[in-house]
Amino acid sequence: MIRNYFKIAWRTLMKNKVFSFINIFGLSIGLTCCMLIALYLHNEMTYDQDQPEADQIYQIGTVFEKKGAEISRTPNTPHPLAEGLHREFPEIADATHLLGMFADDKTLLQYQPANGQAIRSFYETRGYLTTPSFFRLFHYQFIEGSPESALTGTNRIILNEEIAKKIFGNEPAINKVIHINSNTNGEHDFTVGGVYRTSLKPSHIDARFFLSIAGGDMEQYIKQRPNDYATNNMFFSYIKLKSGTDYKKLEAKLPAFIEKYASKDLKAMGFWKKQFLIPLKEIHLAAGVTENVTPSGNRTFLYILASIAIFTLLIACINFMNLSTAKSSQRLKEVGIRKVLGANRLSLVRQFLSESVLMSVMAFLISCMILLILLPYFNQLAGRHIQFSLSENLLMATGFLVLALVTGIIAGSYPAFYLSSFLPVKSLKGKLTNTTTSINLRKTLVVFQFVISVVLIISSAIIVSQMNYLHTKDLGFVKDQQLVIPLRSTTAKNISASLKDALKKNPQVSSAGASMYYPGIMNPSDSMMYREGQTMNEGKRVRINYVDFDFLKTLGVQLVAGRLFDNAYPADTSYRMVVNESTVKEIGFASPQKAVGSHINFDWQGKNYKYEILGVVKDFHFEDLHKLITPLAFEVTATSASQNYLVVHTQTDNMGKLTKNMEQEWRKLNPSEPFEFSFLDEDFQRNYDAETRLTYMVQCLTLIAIFISCLGLFGLATFSAEQRRKEIGIRKVLGATASQLVILISRDFIKLVLIAIILASPLAWWFMNKWLADFAYRTSISWTVFVISAFFACLIAFLTICTQAIKAALSNPVKNLRTE
Amino acid sequence: MIQLEKIYKWHNNGNNRVFILKDINLTIEEGAFISVMGPSGSGKSTLLNIIGMLDEPSEGSYRFLEQDVYTIKEKQRSELYKQNIGFVFQAYHLIDELTVYENIETPLLYQNIKTAERQAMVADILDRFNIVGKKDLFPVQLSGGQQQLVGIARALIAKPKLLLADEPTGNLNSKQGEEIMELFKKINEEDGVTIIQVTHSEKNAAYGKQIINLLDGRIEK
Repeated sequence: MIRNYFKIAWRTLMKNKVFSFINIFGLSIGLTCCMLIALYLHNEMTYDQDQPEADQIYQIGTVFEKKGAEISRTPNTPHPLAEGLHREFPEIADATHLLGMFADDKTLLQYQPANGQAIRSFYETRGYLTTPSFFRLFHYQFIEGSPESALTGTNRIILNEEIAKKIFGNEPAINKVIHINSNTNGEHDFTVGGVYRTSLKPSHIDARFFLSIAGGDMEQYIKQRPNDYATNNMFFSYIKLKSGTDYKKLEAKLPAFIEKYASKDLKAMGFWKKQFLIPLKEIHLAAGVTENVTPSGNRTFLYILASIAIFTLLIACINFMNLSTAKSSQRLKEVGIRKVLGANRLSLVRQFLSESVLMSVMAFLISCMILLILLPYFNQLAGRHIQFSLSENLLMATGFLVLALVTGIIAGSYPAFYLSSFLPVKSLKGKLTNTTTSINLRKTLVVFQFVISVVLIISSAIIVSQMNYLHTKDLGFVKDQQLVIPLRSTTAKNISASLKDALKKNPQVSSAGASMYYPGIMNPSDSMMYREGQTMNEGKRVRINYVDFDFLKTLGVQLVAGRLFDNAYPADTSYRMVVNESTVKEIGFASPQKAVGSHINFDWQGKNYKYEILGVVKDFHFEDLHKLITPLAFEVTATSASQNYLVVHTQTDNMGKLTKNMEQEWRKLNPSEPFEFSFLDEDFQRNYDAETRLTYMVQCLTLIAIFISCLGLFGLATFSAEQRRKEIGIRKVLGATASQLVILISRDFIKLVLIAIILASPLAWWFMNKWLADFAYRTSISWTVFVISAFFACLIAFLTICTQAIKAALSNPVKNLRTE
Repeated sequence: MIQLEKIYKWHNNGNNRVFILKDINLTIEEGAFISVMGPSGSGKSTLLNIIGMLDEPSEGSYRFLEQDVYTIKEKQRSELYKQNIGFVFQAYHLIDELTVYENIETPLLYQNIKTAERQAMVADILDRFNIVGKKDLFPVQLSGGQQQLVGIARALIAKPKLLLADEPTGNLNSKQGEEIMELFKKINEEDGVTIIQVTHSEKNAAYGKQIINLLDGRIEK
């Protein structure tokens, strides 16, 4: 019997190949979408869950306040805080702090093999400076060395397996010496203290290597300010509590600690801070703290994703049921025959259920396959390393299988219970009168689906236009044909002047200049500056970039008043600044012309520093367009130590040849270090990576939503064409043309789509306004976007309906009428 | 075998009651071969469907094989129906997705007959109806006459005592129709199956041993 059910189920599937394909595939898409998002959510929510002592470990967060109002909330603290708390409070078992190599885009690691082979040089990312106690809090699986001793002593480095393999091949790495050049930590030798295996489980610390703070430049920096609890807020501090300690109680004692150790300095600086504790497992999704060791996740975003997943699945399931039901009305006759042949309701129920379950299980299997194919691309898009394995995700896989089965059962239950309820005489006539409620339900559903689709279509269009704006907006400096050569080692910094001279000889190079930062990357150096006659309390934050004489010329910024740096005036190197217009405005000069020749000041550790303004440049975007232009000042440095990048402005059609040339020059001067470069415009665009990702994601979702809502519409059109067969037959006999009939059938549906567009437009407008609010500079939302999207949605809907409408309109009226 | 008493069947059309069957009293003995005749809309098919338990009257009682059809339980009635009644339709009503063999086999599946026995029964009837060669074909691959032959084979597979036929030759040409009628006659005489057929054709009606004429829902005496 069961065999018979499946046989007929299979034959029914095969008989309506297109329909079966669309239906099964539609459910598969919904399931895949949902599974992907579920995997992503699972990944986001399991950060640091595998740390064995996770429940005792807390990160210390800081709230900065000025005049009692919160200015910012960060996970950053001064270096002595973690150890200071450890000494003060007995309930703290251990403490450590961590510092990212914030000034390195990449860190240079060099190894000189003993047997006289060439130096092996690698640029590496994601290095962190920390203390030996780090490995008492966080557990890493060591394959060489031991966590207890790996970082003790000075100048120690711990590598992950991948880097160790890259540098040392199959030789043991332990006790080998690596020469490291870092913009953050200077140039020093480090001895390998251990190698660890990278965990596949997500963690908010994504380190590829760790350096001991002891032995680098950072140690000197720390020693200069042993008890500075006010500034140097750049360390991540962690404490481990003794088991059974209530962290809230400890948190309540922290204000007193700040009062005791930091109040004097804080009062002098004119701000205040409060410390709070973040449980390790909650760090990744901690509210209000975005720029952690790695960028934090966003709970709202997860909720949005989860609701998208649920909606997609719900709609896909409902469509599946709708399509199955629409199609099953054609099988009323079969139900009648089977009843005549002695089938009871139960056996019919079983037959229809096994049919739809077969379909849904197929959909599940297909979605598993699609999932495995898509996962690598999805990882790329989401910037994660999510894996799907049955052993790890058994519960989830089972859950989805059950979901598929339930969908199948619900989808099958309409024909199973409804169709089998008729008297055989009625069903043999093969006619089904549907109640208006179920039709209305279907219509509501189609409207709902199209609202989502139209919102997504409009959003896509607006996002694309904003992305286009971001790419084409004039940034106020020359961003094209600008090559950036990072200077990551002392050698590289030392040769930068000679390299610059060598490059300038090339006619295709119009100018070159070195600097600490360049537009588009983070510019963290700043001072609170004030004009003559004011005090530090009225100081305004001015970002500072350290440059050489040629940098501003190379960048092509426009001068408003005064002059740029010029090496004809050697005095430019001492206490002279070029500032932007925003600085002039913020600090309160009447005009750029008036600012030139005036002085701006800041105080540090009780000493006053005074700078003369040499020139004012027009405001340009030194940060991406998310941010308003803020005060920025340039200072010329005499030494090459603070030059991290060499920016080269070129004029060439053959970039490949030019960069080869540059590489040769580099090799001549610095043979042991690989030559790397990037393009300034591309680096600048990297600030929009999240938006680029979002664009892809929204585009994918748009396609899926369109597909799914077309399925819904297709189901409804099929159903309605089926219902109106007789009407269409009669109209044809009375002389209606095919095109008139197509219009007749399509009209109702286009009406639904129009309703959807009317509902969706304000919704999309609201969403997109919110999204655009993230950008300080943005495109305006034009009404044409809505018109074009509406037209597009109607066109898609019309094409979908047409397949059914044309079929119905062209069918032989005699055939349609004979069934009566 | 069949006793119908005071059978009424009506529809409510607004305030009017439209009668399809009025006061039908009918007794049919086992082994009978009855042709029901009458103009369109006289209630022939409805009567047949009521006898075949596919439809229910608005009023009246029906005894089949000494059991009161409308008072016994649904399950018993279903058993009674499955074991004793076979149906043949004008439009054949074969299941398009099943082969000839599977179509004939289906009633046995619903009676939970074991595979081996089922195979023997189907093989037997295929042989008897001379359609062994067609057993793996689908209904669309057969002519009308052949389809009706399969329909009859399917109706007879469970060895029913009563065969009900609703214009069995209505969609066939006269030669095919004759063959089907000859077959009915043979089944009735040789196997003792009671047959009630609805027909428009005097010629076919003559194959029956008794003719009932229906007019406006009443039996014409």
